[in-house]
Amino acid sequence: MNAEIINFLIFPGGIFAILLGLILMSVERILVARFQRRVGPVFYQNIIDIIKLFNKETLIPKDAKDFIFKFAPLFGFSGMLVLVYFLPIPGVYEGIKGNYDLIILIYFMALPAISHILGGGASSSPYAAISVSRELKLMLVYEFVFIIIGLTLAIYVGNGSGEFSLKKIMDYQLQNGYFLFDWKLWPAFLAFLIFVLATLEVPPFEVAHHNSADIMEGYLIEYSGVPLAMFEITEALKIVVLSIIFQIFFFPSVMGDDIVLNLLWFIIKTLFLIIFIALVHASLASFRADQEFKFLIRVPVTLSLLSLILVILSIKGLI
Amino acid sequence: MSIITRSPFLFRINTGSCNGCDVELATTAMIPRYDVERLGCRYTGSPKHADILLVTGPITARSKPYLIEVLDELPRPFVVVAIGTCPTSCGIFRDSYSIEGPLDKYIKVDVNVPGCPPRPQAIIDGIAKAIEIWKRKIRDEK
Repeated sequence: MNAEIINFLIFPGGIFAILLGLILMSVERILVARFQRRVGPVFYQNIIDIIKLFNKETLIPKDAKDFIFKFAPLFGFSGMLVLVYFLPIPGVYEGIKGNYDLIILIYFMALPAISHILGGGASSSPYAAISVSRELKLMLVYEFVFIIIGLTLAIYVGNGSGEFSLKKIMDYQLQNGYFLFDWKLWPAFLAFLIFVLATLEVPPFEVAHHNSADIMEGYLIEYSGVPLAMFEITEALKIVVLSIIFQIFFFPSVMGDDIVLNLLWFIIKTLFLIIFIALVHASLASFRADQEFKFLIRVPVTLSLLSLILVILSIKGLI
Repeated sequence: MSIITRSPFLFRINTGSCNGCDVELATTAMIPRYDVERLGCRYTGSPKHADILLVTGPITARSKPYLIEVLDELPRPFVVVAIGTCPTSCGIFRDSYSIEGPLDKYIKVDVNVPGCPPRPQAIIDGIAKAIEIWKRKIRDEK
């Protein structure tokens, strides 16, 4: 096997990323349980869930659009699988070293939400229809936030001209200091954290798939067995991808040249992100659909635009 | 394949209960201290994801069709747990004009958790017993 197939199927992408993502999801569940003074599941709980779902009967509703219903999970899954292969991991993996990978990243990040929309829309359930309409509205806002953050960094790194290579964004930070400690990008950092919570749909932003309140798991309501497992794996890969993006954008620090040490450092940084997500998950209640939409269109959009303005002013030499 | 029995997904349906048992179930789900997640359980919103069905309430005439629909939608094999006295024997509502219970008229009940309402510890014990039965059902199916 040549190196690229190994990179795609085994080490940064494929099996490694899926297992890491599933363990991170279980760790998040354990942390939420600990914050609520419970014991919580074991650290490989989500892996057991996936194994069980693969052994479970798959039901397909009579009125569903059969083909789209079965294959919708694959859109998001393949998108995330490609992204893990494609993104550089600081100090561990080079990525594909493209010149315009930030633009491709913005396109691919929308794929899981599109697979939710296709799957929910094809499942012929009124609950799924409500959930899909909510997801569509929210997606328009949080993808917009992500695009503005990406453009802000591109303009900052390219000093006005726009530098869309993730490798160059990382190199710029390794030379000139991390964006996490740059006050001009603090609003963008907060907006990015809100974006992470909104795409992962953890409690304050859970309106599209509540499992105990109004819409009964939303777009997942008719899914069972293998397609449901594919959606779970997509969520797991999404956590890994978001962590990698977070580190590329704001904190690509490395510990020397050793790959193992860098990988451990990467996982430790990821755990900090997971602790933050679990803390928000355990401490906040959920928004209503209209409240969430208003919050997302006011707070993160304003914060990311503020960062964009500060960056443009600093490039013009005004601050 | 006994590892897969460590991940049961729970679904609860209220068939005209007074909400006493539902509050007790909620303490095992959302409130700190009593923890079913320790057994690997997770409450799901859809019967199609579920492995263990928790039923509360004497089956009223209005809720009967929905109960039967949920029983049809569960993927096989599944386990039915009756929470409280009502689904077990209809309790004080027995012989009322609007009651079509008890639950074992419609499906074989695997675990009964008596009590009005049962304590959270009893519910968690019932779920643990249901997991044992679920394990046996999976073995029999193969």
